[in-house]
Amino acid sequence: MSLELFGTWLAALLTLCIFSFLYKDNPFYKFAEHLFVGVSAGYWLCYNYWNMVKPNLIDNLEAHNWEYLLPLILSAFMLMRLIPKVGWLSRWAIAFMIGSGAGLMIITYLQSNFLEQIKSTLVSLDPTGLPWYVVLNSFLIFVGVVSGLVYFFFSKAHTGVTGGVARVGVVFLMVCFGASFGYTVMARISLLIGRMYFLLHDWLGLV
Amino acid sequence: MTRRPHRFLRRAVLSLALPMLLFVLLVATGHAQSSAFDRPPAPVTNVALKDAPDDAGGAITISWTLSPDDAGGAMDVIGYDVRRSTSPDGPFQTVKSVPRGSSEAADETDLDSDVNYFYRVVVKDAKGEAPSVVAGPVQAKVQWFNLGRLNTLIATIIYITLLLYFIFHAKKGKKLFIRRLAGLDALDEAVGRATEMGKPILYVPGISQISDVATIASINILSGVARTVAEYNTRVIVPNYDPIVMTVAQEVVREGFLAAGKPDAYDEHDVFYVTTNQFAFVAAVDGIMVREKPATNLFIGMFFAESLILAETGASTGAIQIAGTDAVAQIPFFIAACDYTLIGEELYAASAYLSRAPLLLGSLKGQDWMKICLIGCIAVGVVTLLFGIESFRDFFETPLMIFRQ
Amino acid sequence: MMRRQVPLLICFVAGIVMLSQNFIPPLTWVYQQALEWARIISAIALFIGLISLVRVHTMKLKRKAANYRYSYVTLFALCYMIIAGFLTKYGLFVKLHAGCDTGSAWEWIVTALEKALNFQEIFLNVQIPIQATMFSLLAFYIASAAFRAFKARTFEATLLLIAAMIVMLGRVPLGQMIPGVKEITVWILDVPNTAAKRGIMIGVGLGMASTSLKIMLGIERTYLGMKD
Repeated sequence: MSLELFGTWLAALLTLCIFSFLYKDNPFYKFAEHLFVGVSAGYWLCYNYWNMVKPNLIDNLEAHNWEYLLPLILSAFMLMRLIPKVGWLSRWAIAFMIGSGAGLMIITYLQSNFLEQIKSTLVSLDPTGLPWYVVLNSFLIFVGVVSGLVYFFFSKAHTGVTGGVARVGVVFLMVCFGASFGYTVMARISLLIGRMYFLLHDWLGLV
Repeated sequence: MTRRPHRFLRRAVLSLALPMLLFVLLVATGHAQSSAFDRPPAPVTNVALKDAPDDAGGAITISWTLSPDDAGGAMDVIGYDVRRSTSPDGPFQTVKSVPRGSSEAADETDLDSDVNYFYRVVVKDAKGEAPSVVAGPVQAKVQWFNLGRLNTLIATIIYITLLLYFIFHAKKGKKLFIRRLAGLDALDEAVGRATEMGKPILYVPGISQISDVATIASINILSGVARTVAEYNTRVIVPNYDPIVMTVAQEVVREGFLAAGKPDAYDEHDVFYVTTNQFAFVAAVDGIMVREKPATNLFIGMFFAESLILAETGASTGAIQIAGTDAVAQIPFFIAACDYTLIGEELYAASAYLSRAPLLLGSLKGQDWMKICLIGCIAVGVVTLLFGIESFRDFFETPLMIFRQ
Repeated sequence: MMRRQVPLLICFVAGIVMLSQNFIPPLTWVYQQALEWARIISAIALFIGLISLVRVHTMKLKRKAANYRYSYVTLFALCYMIIAGFLTKYGLFVKLHAGCDTGSAWEWIVTALEKALNFQEIFLNVQIPIQATMFSLLAFYIASAAFRAFKARTFEATLLLIAAMIVMLGRVPLGQMIPGVKEITVWILDVPNTAAKRGIMIGVGLGMASTSLKIMLGIERTYLGMKD
């Protein structure tokens, strides 16, 4: 049996093992699941060593780029986690990652999720000199954005006017969620068709 | 008979002369034409130099008007060389080559700030080249502030001020209200149910890294859950996608058991690493859900396409499910398959909701005020647009040209 | 002090630097650098993950927990991948090949071993098909989730389902033949969908920025634990 043929058979059998989970949990699925976990964890470890640790840390240190001593030290602190007595040192590395992430996110999200959203709302709201239905749609977008924001008010109870507006917000939210649900269906079905094609064409050669 | 050879000769001469003449003509015109090709292309004009804006120096933009032989004239230009020197007299070295039709190039090669640079743009064709006049001097200056982000800075300052104001206000002990969040109210009930059934609780803190703020929000909720779980004498299983998130989760769960006065009930093996592969992680968590049959599943944090596999498998085991994510694309699936879903910003409000810490509640109030500001901005924007004023809207556009001049 | 104050300080300083590099061009290199460092730390932290994974499974074997036999599969696959990932890179097989005669039994064994330990082939024939199949399960789950929403009969679920049905129909050729479906789909996607999505995004942006600020200022510090 050639290696390629063996590979196809292996892939096909594993595919069937996973599909069997739809019926119920069974030894075939358990086998494929445990195999998948082991293989993927090992793969990711090796991949990260060869594509991150080796080129970005070890090679840089070997080239005497001493600024890489800092990530080396922080990484070493991270590993201290494995030794209970000095485990607290890992917090330094974690604090570095969390802090830099937080600093980055404040600006990134204020720009992409705040300013740019206002801008595009205002662009789509330009009501001058357009047919009535465009103006109506613009008005609906305005209502949708505002009522959606009111739904996310936390310091006010959802009663009275606030409650009413928030309720409108919920209607918009649900239609939005429905739309992205419906939008995704075909994409998911095409994934299934892809797997079926592999089984019927690559493996069994039926189509 | 005598005239015949004569006529023959005449014919022969004629028949030879005509092609000869044609040949000479061809050669002559051909020569004329090829001399048009041999002529070097007309040089470019209007070479303009500009320090690239909003950067740390190290870049100069060079623009020019195309050579008349590019897109016109002899049409034989093949490209342009941008040559640089630190003196107007040279020597000039090519720092960038661009194809024909380009009228702009950025020089980013080894530029020092505060040094005068001179440029000339050389147009090339197959046979020769023609330099432009020397342009310059120009400097690649370091800009200490990115004017293109001025509006972001203003928004940031306003927002941080609002947040800090309400946080300090809360510090003074003013009581703050927070609206109900059904998903979080259900937490106690969900833990209680697990205790009654003698089944564990499954907590999935998303599949992102610790630097993701959504993960931190999830860790905050886990902290509260761990404490309740310990009080109820139940077990919490926390499978992890990222090893650093795992170490933090271990810490937080251990603290929760400690705070409930039951440090011995904490089993470190219940908070573990699975694998950093989206679908392998899901395959394993699916396995846990169908084999351990947790009474309650909590999916809180950042999720991607796997959200629905998790939520549907969980629903099929009959568990109570509470989800929370700011991944807009995944919210619909959680809503369809879970009992409660924290939508978007609600995830970030959870920490304040569960702990009722005044400082956290204060920041929620700041968030609400920012929303009011925003609604005001949109309203003002609509009114100004109705009157044909566009400058208000343009403020939200990134580069603010007024300040650039 | 070292256990709590220093991490809070590191967090604050890292946050301020990353925040200000957005506005100060000469600091942009810090962003690249910090990102690279974070990736390096994450990569090395995988070792902690490895230890946890091995511990969990050896413990299952020791305790003879339910389904403990499958832990052999995981541990075997893990070791196999690590061996394959490191052996092939160090050029071991090149040396082995050089050391044996052409056509000998040894060469046959070495070739077979090399093929069996081909890192990329295992990835392609084991990981990729399982991954793709897990992903494709979504086709079934999306149907069952729709049915669940249908059974729920709440106002919200009904609204969600109706919008989903229309958009789904509007995306397939058969559904587009029904008059009006295509237009309504476009309208749903362009108007209510856009509006609500903006509302959510603005909320998320504010919540995320506010949480980030609280993290930087040390107000939100659950991740550090309560005690020293």
